Amino acid sequence: MPHRPSLREVAALYLKAGNLTFGGGDPTVASLQRELVDRRGWITAEQYSIAFSVARIVPGTNVLAFCAASAYQMQGWVGAVLSVLAASAPSAVLAVWILTALDAAQRNPLANAAAGAVLASVVGMMFASAWQLMKPALADAKWFRVVVFSGGALILREWLRLSPVEVLFAAGLCGAFWREGTAR
Amino acid sequence: MSLWLLYLLLSKATMTGFSGLGSLPSIREDFVERHHVLTDYQLNAAVAAGRTGPGPLGLYVVCVGYTVAGTPGALIGFLAMITPTMLVIPVLRFFLRTAEHPALRGSIRGLLLAAAGLLISASLPLGRSSLTSALPVAVAGVSFCILALTKVETVWVVAGAAVLGLGAGMAGFK
Repeated sequence: MPHRPSLREVAALYLKAGNLTFGGGDPTVASLQRELVDRRGWITAEQYSIAFSVARIVPGTNVLAFCAASAYQMQGWVGAVLSVLAASAPSAVLAVWILTALDAAQRNPLANAAAGAVLASVVGMMFASAWQLMKPALADAKWFRVVVFSGGALILREWLRLSPVEVLFAAGLCGAFWREGTAR
Repeated sequence: MSLWLLYLLLSKATMTGFSGLGSLPSIREDFVERHHVLTDYQLNAAVAAGRTGPGPLGLYVVCVGYTVAGTPGALIGFLAMITPTMLVIPVLRFFLRTAEHPALRGSIRGLLLAAAGLLISASLPLGRSSLTSALPVAVAGVSFCILALTKVETVWVVAGAAVLGLGAGMAGFK
């Protein structure tokens, strides 16, 4: 069983991941995946994928639903509420502050240079997260499954323009019938 | 516009949107076209502010609240943003209760790999807008290697990139 973190540890992680990751919600989910599953081992990859999927199914801001769903599995309702507040309250204050200073911020070349490099790093981070999700299946020589599900999801999303919810629905449905080799 | 109506309209938008800016059409219709408490310019500024800082794109809802009704409006916007996220818990509990079923286990394995594909897909627009010269490509490549191969804390990699970008900007290097 994974180590069960304290409420404080949970809140501190979501505070960092939610408010120091730029580029929207997906990079935050990618950073949380690396911290929760790979570095700290607080939840398993399967618990992560359940949280990722249900967060896409429900309406609202996906990343906050992901915070609630992943923290709930470690610390119940209190953890869920706390993680959402920790991940969003400071950046909400910052967003309002940016709104009042928007013109100046957009014209500052140094701020733009820093933001550009952060976004580039976030692209690398998202690829690293995708890699971490695929690695266990690749290590098990389940590469065909990786090609079908990960490659298929990319194609459905990018070229056929299906929504993430539709892509996940298709993957869940195919997965339910693809049960050969019950080892992970 | 009363704070109560503000909450209802913003919640209607966040409850019916399924992604970062999915709530935008509904907000535009209610606030710009129907109630005239927001101009298109102000709405664009709210979206830009939500996108500029850290955190989810959905944060622009807080900025919309602030523009319409000041600080109380921002609080209302924040509430409207976080309330629908709690709907996830009942759905999650259902999944967890049935997680041992073999068909659902197969589904979860499929979802996990599909999530990897979706992450790559979500990184493409970011990549198109940010990987425009050698320096950002190198930053992305080095970040990937550090994050995929080492256990360095994620925040340090992002902070390092910010410092590097700042240094490059000061040196006039693109």
